[in-house]
Amino acid sequence: MAEEQKEAKPKKRMTATKAAASIGPMVKEFITGTLQAKAEGKQKVAYTFIVCHHEEIFRALDVIPVWTENFAGICGAKRDAERFLQRAESLGLSRSLCTYALCGIGFDQWREELGQMPPEAPWGGQVRPDFMISSGQILCDPRSKWYQASQQFMPDVPIYNIDLPYPLFQENRDHREALGYYHQYIVKQLRGLVAFLEEQTKKKMNYDRLRELVDLSDRTWNLIDETYKLRRAAPCPMGTGDAMNTMVPINFMMATQKAYDFFVDLKKELEEKIAKGEGEVENEKYRLMWGGGLPAWYALNDFNYFNSKGASFPVETTYRMVAPLHEMDIPETKDPIEHLAWRWLGYWTFWYDKAKKRPGSEPDVERLINWIEEYKIDGVVMHEAFSCRTWHVGLIWQLHQLAKIYKPIPVYMIGKDGQKGKVYRELPSLILESDIIDITSYSEVDTRNKIDAFVETLESIRANRAT
Amino acid sequence: MIDKENNIFDTVKNYYNDYGFRAKDLKREGKKFIGYVCSFVPLEIITASGSLPFRVRGNIHEPITKGDTLLETIVCPYYRSVFDLSVKGEYDFLSGLVIPHGCDSMVRSFSAWSYGLPFSYFHFVNIPSVCDESSFEFFDAELDAFRKSLGKFTGKAITEEHLRQAIRAYNENRDKVRALYELRKADPPLISGTELTMTLTAGSSLPIEESNDLFDQVLTEVKGRGKSPLKKGPRIFIDGACLDNIELIKLVEELGGNVVADTICNGARDHFPKTDVGGDPIHALAHRYLDKINCPKTYRANRAGTFEGDIANRFGDVGTYAREFRVDGAILYVYKYCDPFGFEVPARKAYYQSLNLPLLHLEDIYSAGTISQLRTRVQAFLEMIGQ
Amino acid sequence: MSFVLGIDIGSAQSKGVALDDQGPLGSFECASGGNFKLTAEKVKEELFSRAGRSADNISRTVATGYGAKLVIFADEIKSDIVCLAKGISSLLPSVRTVIDIGDLYTKVLRTDGHGSVHSFILSGKCAGGSGRILQVIAKVLQVKVDEIGELSLKSKKRVEFNTGCAVFAETEAISRLSQEVTKEDLLAGLHRALGAQINNLAERIGVEQDIAMTGGGARDIGLVQALKEIRGHDILVPPIPHMTAALGAALIAREGLKR
Repeated sequence: MAEEQKEAKPKKRMTATKAAASIGPMVKEFITGTLQAKAEGKQKVAYTFIVCHHEEIFRALDVIPVWTENFAGICGAKRDAERFLQRAESLGLSRSLCTYALCGIGFDQWREELGQMPPEAPWGGQVRPDFMISSGQILCDPRSKWYQASQQFMPDVPIYNIDLPYPLFQENRDHREALGYYHQYIVKQLRGLVAFLEEQTKKKMNYDRLRELVDLSDRTWNLIDETYKLRRAAPCPMGTGDAMNTMVPINFMMATQKAYDFFVDLKKELEEKIAKGEGEVENEKYRLMWGGGLPAWYALNDFNYFNSKGASFPVETTYRMVAPLHEMDIPETKDPIEHLAWRWLGYWTFWYDKAKKRPGSEPDVERLINWIEEYKIDGVVMHEAFSCRTWHVGLIWQLHQLAKIYKPIPVYMIGKDGQKGKVYRELPSLILESDIIDITSYSEVDTRNKIDAFVETLESIRANRAT
Repeated sequence: MIDKENNIFDTVKNYYNDYGFRAKDLKREGKKFIGYVCSFVPLEIITASGSLPFRVRGNIHEPITKGDTLLETIVCPYYRSVFDLSVKGEYDFLSGLVIPHGCDSMVRSFSAWSYGLPFSYFHFVNIPSVCDESSFEFFDAELDAFRKSLGKFTGKAITEEHLRQAIRAYNENRDKVRALYELRKADPPLISGTELTMTLTAGSSLPIEESNDLFDQVLTEVKGRGKSPLKKGPRIFIDGACLDNIELIKLVEELGGNVVADTICNGARDHFPKTDVGGDPIHALAHRYLDKINCPKTYRANRAGTFEGDIANRFGDVGTYAREFRVDGAILYVYKYCDPFGFEVPARKAYYQSLNLPLLHLEDIYSAGTISQLRTRVQAFLEMIGQ
Repeated sequence: MSFVLGIDIGSAQSKGVALDDQGPLGSFECASGGNFKLTAEKVKEELFSRAGRSADNISRTVATGYGAKLVIFADEIKSDIVCLAKGISSLLPSVRTVIDIGDLYTKVLRTDGHGSVHSFILSGKCAGGSGRILQVIAKVLQVKVDEIGELSLKSKKRVEFNTGCAVFAETEAISRLSQEVTKEDLLAGLHRALGAQINNLAERIGVEQDIAMTGGGARDIGLVQALKEIRGHDILVPPIPHMTAALGAALIAREGLKR
């Protein structure tokens, strides 16, 4: 099997905040921690996916979640995913499929074939799980297929698949009519997970502890929301580049005190920076929104490149997997499982009502408009990762619809009659194209040429903006 | 096709080539057609509402143009083609469109459809990704919501009796399809794969009664042949997702193979499972569409605890058909960017190996432009198993 | 008296324009070759000789294009998007949308007639399509690239392509040759397919009239004709369309002197 040389290490990305800089070691510690836990055998380790609102259940039963998307991302960031992708391809898996999953399956197959970690596995490698919790969602097909495919190489490792749907936005339909049966279903699915974990761990769920953990993550949610909203300041104290680090506690560490404390520190750091007028960029010229798409993990440096042109990213739709709880209708309940299910539905339907109030709007578009205004955004940047349909289909349409219903930029134009008139135009946008971890899809020269042209476009618009 | 006389296959061919012309006629008479994509939309509910279901198709001969201005090219190529034709106005005679949660491509593009197309009715049917008690309860509720929503649109409540009638009509249709497949069991088969797929595709553009009539006439015609017009050749099985055109099958048959069975959506996947009668019709439909439709999109728990047991459970229908139709070789035809099928390729390969059935795996985009590339590979495969 | 240069180092062709306060003094074009630095020098020298000026007279140089960073003597680097907008505003001020067909990329941009860019889009791996496929096919058909436009217009029965993807269009074109189609019909089909892809790209950012085509691809009358037919209206083409970005770069250089 072809084993490619590791590609050149990327230049280390500079972070704006100390908090973001502390993430790398934290993740490494976590990965080695899973290996150690497995060796000691005291706690069960389970493969699973982020954004399932189930980490409280894991932690209450002392199960260690192994976030397989995270490990694939690490391979990508270290530019060491290619050999695992090639292994997956040699099994018959198409390169057009989710490359996180391909990387994970390739890695698992290799580890199982060797009976030990593949040579020079990133950060010691991904631990062999005791079981795998997959999640069929209305969100991501690979989630219910990935572990099933991996199981071919470790048939003794059981899978439990939970279903977590939410009602899709439909212009003409009141989603509240459906919430009742969605909620009932999700509650039953989560209870099924509890039963499965109890059986695997031979422990009984302590519901008081679960309630405390749910409360802890709720408090963390609100804290994250408050912290991120500080980025509205000009200059912006922290950008999307940093947020691709601080996504770690949001997505991998919820329901831990450590995650809560992390955001206490980050909030303090941002407040200090704001007080001192310190921005992510020294002379902030443009404020951009990362409006869609997962990042190219091997090219996070591109955020620094944007910064070098005076562009800051005060907000991103990616990995901001929280919304203010007090703005959702979450019915009072003493049952933590019921609460988790309401929170799940509240998160996914968060923009529905607002979207219905604006003609032509839609939840994803509505969120863009709201944040463009709240964060005073000059342009929208998106990334289309070819291998992931979950987050990358619909982006073109969102920009199209945004341009159609939202034109905030006044310009003077000479019309066909030769008269100069004021017209309004849409916010400029840029779509970068590559992949989450498949570096063969990426060209630094092309990407930076596009960024140059985009920044020059912003400059041109600013110079010609009608007052 | 085979008989130069004016036979029923001329009609089939007409429906197939000028897809939707009958629907346009009926629309002029005041009938409402509701379009749908994928195997997961309960057609019985649409029929029970008094409107007529119409399966929207792609066209592999038509380059994708306008669709690409609104939808990413990383979408399932079949679905991209369907979207492209729709935004070009090909299906403007429809009154509405129903899209199920068949895959990410369908879910993530729903707004692009519902905001971009001129239909007055849109509905999204969510499909659970697991089959357990709670998912059936959920699906019952989801289908009931669909029933109410459609009833509101047509202005006529859909009753249990309407549903029962529709279920009967569709079950009858599925019996006829089964009977058509029976005619493939002879060697050489009495009906070619090309004829059969064309017939089923034509049927999906017609009201159920007309589809039943058409299938009856095809059955009479083919049974009347007495002797097969085809030559003996390797008996080929097609495994894959939605194949709503005849090009691949025609290619196999031009090269000397006979396509005798399949799992494709426009074949056995859609047409074999019947709805239980007697109980609550919505519940019976939920059971048919969620459990009996065997699509990789639905996660099936590994109850065997072994890989061999798991694949025997998940792909057992393939083994059954392979024996029943005495298959010599299989083609696993998967679209690029199709996550649900794509991730099953290694396991399906292993399953074919366990059956000792030669397999050709093809990854393709939905375009006639690739046929010449497929030809070489199909030819080599047929020669290999013909030895 | 100012003397400025605009140099556009493309992936296939390099272009240069020399200007003074009055207007253009000369232009030059050559293949980019493998060494962009040397090519840039060559363009500069040639512009000096065509303009009848020497290195001492030069006041400012702006570089653009794929190899702009290798024009080491440039005072400033500008993206070709901005240069195209500037160039077209001086050539055809009524233009609001520019479709630039280069060797590697097709670029579409919206502008206002004064050289300001409002939005742009570049062709990607699967969308758009660029001039390269025409070069490949010209080689296969053993015709000169500058001949394919005329040949295409002579077509009597255009080959219909099934695919919209550039990668597959190439293989499809080659496979069609085995089916005994004429060069003319094949080229007309290819122009149509490429034109449709380029039009989709333009539609993604919205098209405002007037439209101009620039870049090497705009010299191909077959492709221009295909786009006109697809869009159903006229498309403007400046007299030396591939020189537009270089001209824009020179204009930006001249404006830079005034600042």
